[in-house]
Amino acid sequence: MTQARPRRSDFDIELRLLLEAVYQRYQHDFRHYSTASLRRRIEQAMAHYGAGTVSQLQDRVMREPDLFADMLQYFTVQVSEMFRDPSYFLALREKVVPMLATYPYVKVWVAGCSTGEEAWSIAIVLREEGLLERTLVYATDINPRALATAQAGIYRLDRVAQFSASYLAAGGKESLSHYYTAAYGNAIFDKSLKSQIVFSDHSLATDNVFSEVELVSCRNVLIYFDRELQARAIGLFHDALAPRGFLGIGSKETLRFSPHAAAFEEYVAPERIYRKR
Amino acid sequence: MATPTHTENTRRKAPPHPQATPLLPPATLAGLIVACLAALLIALMSMQSSQSRIGTVRQLTATIETIDADQALVSTLQDAETGQRGYLLTGDERYLEPYNGARARYPSEIDKLRALAAGDRDRLDRVEQIGQIAAAKFAELEETIALRRAGKLEEATSIIRSDRGKVLMDRFRAMAADFERDERARFDERRAEWESQARGQSVITWGGTALLLFLIVAAGAMASRDYRQRERNAWIRGGESLASFRIQGAQGVEKLGEEVLSFLAEYLGAKVGAVYVHDDGDVFRRVAGHALADSADAQVVRRGESLVGQAAKDRRAMRVTDVPEGYLPVASGVGRGRPRELLIAPAVVDGEVHGVVEVGLLRAVDDADRELLDRVAETLGMAIRTSRERERRQALLEETQRQANELQAQQEELRVSNEELEEQGNALRESQARLEMQHAEMEQVNVQLEERTQQLERQKAELIQAQKDLADNARMLERTNRYKSEFLANMSHELRTPLNSSLILAKLLADNAQGNLDEEQVRYARTIHSSNNELLTLINDILDLSKIEAGQIEINPEDVEIAELVHSMRRTFDPVAADRKLEFHTAVATNVPPSIYTDNQRVQQVLKNLLSNAFKFTPRGDVTLQVSLRDGGRIAFAVRDSGIGIAPRQQEVIFEAFRQADGTTSRQYGGTGLGLSISRELASRLGGSIQLQSAPGMGSTFTLDLPLRLEKSTRAGAPRAVEAEPARSVPATADIQAPARAPEPAAVAPSQKPAASGPHIDDDRSSRRHPDRMILVIEDDERFARVLYDLAHELGFDCVHASRANEGLELARRLKPSGILLDVNLPDDSGLALLERIKRDPAVRHIPVHMLSVEDHSQAALGLGAVGYALKPVARDDLARAIGRLEERLAKSVSRVLVVEDDEHLRENIALLLRGDQVEITAVGRVADALAKLEAEPYDCLVTDLQLPDASGYDLLEKLSKDPRHARLPVIVYTGRALSREEETRLRRFSKSIIIKGARSPERLLDEVTLFLHRVESALPPEQQTMLRRVRQRDDAFEGRTILLAEDDVRNIFALSRVLEPLGATVEIARNGQEAVERAGRGDIDLVLMDIMMPVKDGLEATREIRATPALAGLPIIAITAKAMADDRRQCLDAGANDYIAKPIDIERLVSLCRVWLAK
Repeated sequence: MTQARPRRSDFDIELRLLLEAVYQRYQHDFRHYSTASLRRRIEQAMAHYGAGTVSQLQDRVMREPDLFADMLQYFTVQVSEMFRDPSYFLALREKVVPMLATYPYVKVWVAGCSTGEEAWSIAIVLREEGLLERTLVYATDINPRALATAQAGIYRLDRVAQFSASYLAAGGKESLSHYYTAAYGNAIFDKSLKSQIVFSDHSLATDNVFSEVELVSCRNVLIYFDRELQARAIGLFHDALAPRGFLGIGSKETLRFSPHAAAFEEYVAPERIYRKR
Repeated sequence: MATPTHTENTRRKAPPHPQATPLLPPATLAGLIVACLAALLIALMSMQSSQSRIGTVRQLTATIETIDADQALVSTLQDAETGQRGYLLTGDERYLEPYNGARARYPSEIDKLRALAAGDRDRLDRVEQIGQIAAAKFAELEETIALRRAGKLEEATSIIRSDRGKVLMDRFRAMAADFERDERARFDERRAEWESQARGQSVITWGGTALLLFLIVAAGAMASRDYRQRERNAWIRGGESLASFRIQGAQGVEKLGEEVLSFLAEYLGAKVGAVYVHDDGDVFRRVAGHALADSADAQVVRRGESLVGQAAKDRRAMRVTDVPEGYLPVASGVGRGRPRELLIAPAVVDGEVHGVVEVGLLRAVDDADRELLDRVAETLGMAIRTSRERERRQALLEETQRQANELQAQQEELRVSNEELEEQGNALRESQARLEMQHAEMEQVNVQLEERTQQLERQKAELIQAQKDLADNARMLERTNRYKSEFLANMSHELRTPLNSSLILAKLLADNAQGNLDEEQVRYARTIHSSNNELLTLINDILDLSKIEAGQIEINPEDVEIAELVHSMRRTFDPVAADRKLEFHTAVATNVPPSIYTDNQRVQQVLKNLLSNAFKFTPRGDVTLQVSLRDGGRIAFAVRDSGIGIAPRQQEVIFEAFRQADGTTSRQYGGTGLGLSISRELASRLGGSIQLQSAPGMGSTFTLDLPLRLEKSTRAGAPRAVEAEPARSVPATADIQAPARAPEPAAVAPSQKPAASGPHIDDDRSSRRHPDRMILVIEDDERFARVLYDLAHELGFDCVHASRANEGLELARRLKPSGILLDVNLPDDSGLALLERIKRDPAVRHIPVHMLSVEDHSQAALGLGAVGYALKPVARDDLARAIGRLEERLAKSVSRVLVVEDDEHLRENIALLLRGDQVEITAVGRVADALAKLEAEPYDCLVTDLQLPDASGYDLLEKLSKDPRHARLPVIVYTGRALSREEETRLRRFSKSIIIKGARSPERLLDEVTLFLHRVESALPPEQQTMLRRVRQRDDAFEGRTILLAEDDVRNIFALSRVLEPLGATVEIARNGQEAVERAGRGDIDLVLMDIMMPVKDGLEATREIRATPALAGLPIIAITAKAMADDRRQCLDAGANDYIAKPIDIERLVSLCRVWLAK
C-alpha cells in the first residue's frame, strides 16, 4: 500500500461496483451493508490478495469463484463466542424460556449464526431447561464456510475456557465440559445437541421468512447493515415471529429507530430482548 | 605392500584412451606409410612392365598368325589353280574338288587376314591388293572352268595360253612373299622390344626389395626405442602411482614424509633420505628421515640455505655426485657411510614449493631416477597441499559444523518466535475481527445517538413549545383565578351584606324581644338564624379557599406556646364535647418544646377544623388531641376520633374541595366539605401536611405535621393555582357518584327538564347516507360541532349533533350511533355524568364514547369506560384519531368466548382471567354442552382442554371443522398434556395456538385470547380472507385428491390445510424431509408441496430421493422456498421439483399451481 491512497469517492464508486458485481455474479447481496465497515473490510481483502484497486479485486472475484468463496470471510465478520454477554443468556433462561415452555413445540431462529457459537449456547440453555427435545433451532448464515464450522461444533480449546466462564455467568447448571469432549487442542460439542439444530444458508438481504418461530436471536448482525437492510431484517423477524414471540438483538443494537419499533415492546430492556406486540 | 603385480596393475591403471591416441607413434607411422608407398610403387611398376610385355607377346603372336594366314592364302590359290588345271585337262569334275575347296576356304582366309591387318592402314591396303589379285585369279579360273564345262576347251586353253593366269599368279606370289617378309621383319623388331622390357622389370624388382629392407630395419629400430622409452615411463609412472597409493592413506605431513621415504628406499633403492616441508615464510622443517644418522641435525633449513634450501629456492631438482663428507650420512647398526650420489627435488605444485625431498643413493643416478623423484616430489607436494587443505578443510568443516549447530539453534529459536508470531497473528486477526465488530457496534451506537439527539432536539423543541403553551395557560389561569377570587371576594361581600342583615333580623326575631311571636315562630326564626350562620360559614370558607388558592393569605409566624394552643382548643371544644356527650382528651408529649414558631391563627384554624370534623363524625366515644415530636424537627398534632371512619378509596376524595366521602354524608352531617381542603392548603402553606389513617368503623386519625420553625421560603406564598390543579386531579378510583356531583358550576343549578332539546346544527338525522356508520356529537359549542361534523363526513360517517346531555342520551338510545364524541361541559349536565349514564344503560353501553374537554378529567372518564380523552383545543389530527378509535372499538364490540374445561376450579379461574368489559365468557365442562352452546349462539373464540369427560377435545374440533359455520372459529387448545409431534400436527389443522399448562401459561392464554378477540379478521391479509371465502366451494380438480404438505411452518400448515381441505383435497402432513419421503413412498399421493428448509432432511434432498424412486418419477412436486434468488429457484428445479412458489405464499397462486399439476 505504498501507492497513493485513491480518493475516498473513487474508492466508494468502485466498492459499489464490486458489490453490484458480486450480486449479479454470485447473488450475494452486500449492497446494503454498512459502507464504513465494508470499506475497512475490502481494504483488508485488497491487502490480502495483493490487489492495488478495488477494480482489480473485482476483476479477480469475477473470474475466480474459489476466490470469492474465500473472500466471503472478508465480507462478513466471523466473530462470536459462546454465551457472549452472559446476562443475555441468563435473561433468556429466566425470562424467555419459561414462556417458551407453554408451547407444545418451539422454534428458535438464530439469524446470522456465523460459526455457530450462539446456536450451540442456546441449545445448551434449552437442554438444561428441559426444552430442547421439543425445540428446533434454525441457525442460518450466508457464509457456507462459517456454516460448516458451525455444523462441526469444534472450537479451539483455548477459547473454551472463556466459554466456560461465560456459561457459568449465564446461569449454567452444570459444567460446560459436560457438553464437550476435548482432544488435540480442540473441543467438540455434544452431537445430541446438534440433532435439534438445523444449519442452513439464508440471507437476510434477499430471502424471505421460512417458518414461524417463537424466538429470534440475531445478535451483532444488524450493526453491519445500513438502515434500509436493518429495517428489512427486522421486518423478516417480525413476520417470522409467532404472536407474542421474542426477539433478542445485540447489546449495541436497538429497535428504537426501526419502522417496526411499534410492533415490539421491551421485554428485558437491558438485554435488548423484545416481544412482539 | 607394493608387489610387482600391484605395480603392473598400477601401471595399467590409466591406459590412454584408445580413440584419443594415434594408432602408432608418429615416426613409426611415417616409416610404415613410406614402406607401403614403396611397395605400392614397386607393384605398380611391375604390373606396368608385365602389361607391356603381354602386349608385345600378343603382337608377336598376331604377326606369326598373319604370316600363317598369308601362307595359307597362297596355298589355297595354288590348290584352286591345280584343281583348274586338272579339270581342264580331264574335264573330270573330280579334279575340280581342290578348286571348290579353295574357293570355299578363300573368303574366310582373306577375312582372317583382313582382321589381322586391321588397325594398320598400310597393311590393310596390301591385304586388299592381295585380295584383288586373288579375286582376279579366281575370276580367270572360274571363266576357264566354265568354258571347259561348256566344252570349250580351246577357248579355255587359249586363255591359259594367254598367260593371263600365270601373270596373275606370279603377281600374287610376289605380293604374298613380300607381305610375309615384312611380317617377319616386324616379328624380329617386337621380340627385341620384349627383351628390353624384361630387363627393366628385373631392375625394378631389385630396387624395390632394397628399399623395403631399409624401411623394415628403420621401423624395427624405432619400435625398440619406443619400447625402451615406454618401459622407462612405465617404471616412472608405476613408481609415481605407487607413491600416490602409499601417500594416499597417510594422514598428516609426518606420515606423508615417512611413506614417501620408505617408498623411495624400496623403489629407488635410496639408502638415506629426508623430507622437508614448507612451514611459514622461508622455513622448511624436516618431517621425516630414512636411515638418517643422529648427526643429521639439520631439522630446519631456510630457503636458499644448504642444498635443500637452494633446491627450494630454485624450484629445480638437483643432483649431487660428489657428496661432501658428512653430508647426509647413511647410518646402520654397524656403521655409517656416505651416499655416492644425492638427489634433491623440491615438491612444487603450481609454482609453489611445498616441501623438499632429499635422497642419497649408493649407485649412480640416471634420468629415470631423477624424473621419478621429480614426479614423486610433485605428488608429495600435492599430497602436502591436499593434506594442508584437508587440515584447513577439517578446520573449516569444524567451523561450519559449529556454525551449522548455531544456525540450527537459531532456527529453533526462529521457529519458536515464528509460532509466537503466528499465535500473535491469530490473536491479532481475531482481535481485528473483534475490533471490526466493536467498530461496527460503535458506528451503530453513533448512528443511534445521532438519531436520538435529533429526536431529543425535536422533543426539546416540542417541550419548549409546550412550556410556552403552559406558561401561556398558566398566565391565563392565573388571570382567571384572580378574576375568580376577586369575584368570590366581591361576591362574599355582596352576599355577606344581606346575609348579615338577615342574621341580625333573624336574631332579633328569635330573641322575641317584643314577645309577639309564638314558640313555633321563634323556632322558625332560630332556624333562619342558624341556616344563615351556616351560609355565612360556607361563604367564609369559600372565600378562604379562594384566597388560599389565589395565594392571597398572609402568613404571620410568631412564637406559639403549645400549652396555650392546647388550652385554647380545650376551651373551644369542651362545650361541644359536653354537648355531644363525648370525651375530649388532650395530651402533650414531654419532649415537645414549649413553643414553636409558626402562624398561630392558621394553626388554630386547622386544628379547629380537624377537631370539629372529629366531633361531627363521632356519634359516641372520644376525641383525642395528641401533640408529639417527630424526627427531623417536626411536630405532630394528631386528632383521633372513634367515629365512622373513612374507606381507603375515599381518603383522598375528602380532601378535595366540594366533595365528601359519601354523597349522603353531607346530608347526614351537614357542612360544606371545604374544611379539609382549606386545612390541607393551610398546612401546606405552613410547611407541613395533613395525613390520614382510617378505616370504616374504626375511627380516623388526622395528623397535622408541622416544622418546629416555619422557614421563610416555605411561606413565600407563591401563586400555586397552576400546580395545585393537576395535583388534585380526580383519582382513578373515584366513586361513581363523584361525577354525579360534578365539578361544573352548572351542576349547582341543574336543569331538570327532561330531554330538553337545545339548538343543534343542521345534521344528518333525517338524511342518512351510511346506515351503519354514524357519529353522535354532544357538544354545546356549535362552531366546534360543525368542525366535528365535517370531519366525520370526511371519514365516511354520518353525523348527528346534540347540544344538551339529555338530548344526547335520548338520541343515542334512538339512533344507536357507531360512536359518541362527548364534551365535558354541557349546559344541562356534566359530560362525565352523561358518560356514566350511557355506560349504565344496557341499550347503549356498547357504544364507544370519546371525551373532549378543556379540562383534564381523563382518568375519571377512562375509568368510566370512555375509549379516549382529548383536551381542547384539539388538533384536527387528534380528532380524526379520536373518531378512528371509536371505529376501532366499534369493530370489536363485545366478544364472546366459550371455555370448555372440565375442572371446575380451573374453569372459574379461566373465566376470571379473561374477564373484561368487552368480553362475555361462557364456561362449560363437557363437549356436548359446548356443541349445544355453539349451536345456539355464535362465539368469537373457543378455549378448550383436550381431556374432557364425555369426548376428547379432538372430537370437538373435528366436528367444528366440518361445520362451515364454525370453520373459522379461532380455537385455543389449553392442555396439561405433553403432546407428541403427531398429536401436535393433528391439532395444528384446527388450532393456531396450543398452550401447555404451566407456571406462565395463564399469561399466554390471556395474550392469545386477547389477540384473537382483537385480531380475528385482521390477522389474515385481506386477499387471503377473500380467498378463504371464495374457495369454500369444492373444486373438481381437488376432489378426492391427496396432497402431501411437507412443511414445518405451523402457520402454513394451518393456512394451507384450511384452504385445500374445503376444496375437497385430503391434506397429509409431513414435518420433515424424511417423513415426506416415507409418506410419498406409500404411493397414494397426487401432489407434494415441498418446503425446502426443513429439519432432518431438507426439501431438496427429499425431492431428489422421491425422484430416485422410479414409481414416483412422475409425482408432481411443487417446491416452497423462502429463498428469492434465481439460483435458488434453479436448485429446486434441478433437484426435480416441477415448479416452485416463494414464501410468503400467495394462496391464490398456490391454488392455481395445484390445479395445474393435479390436472395432469
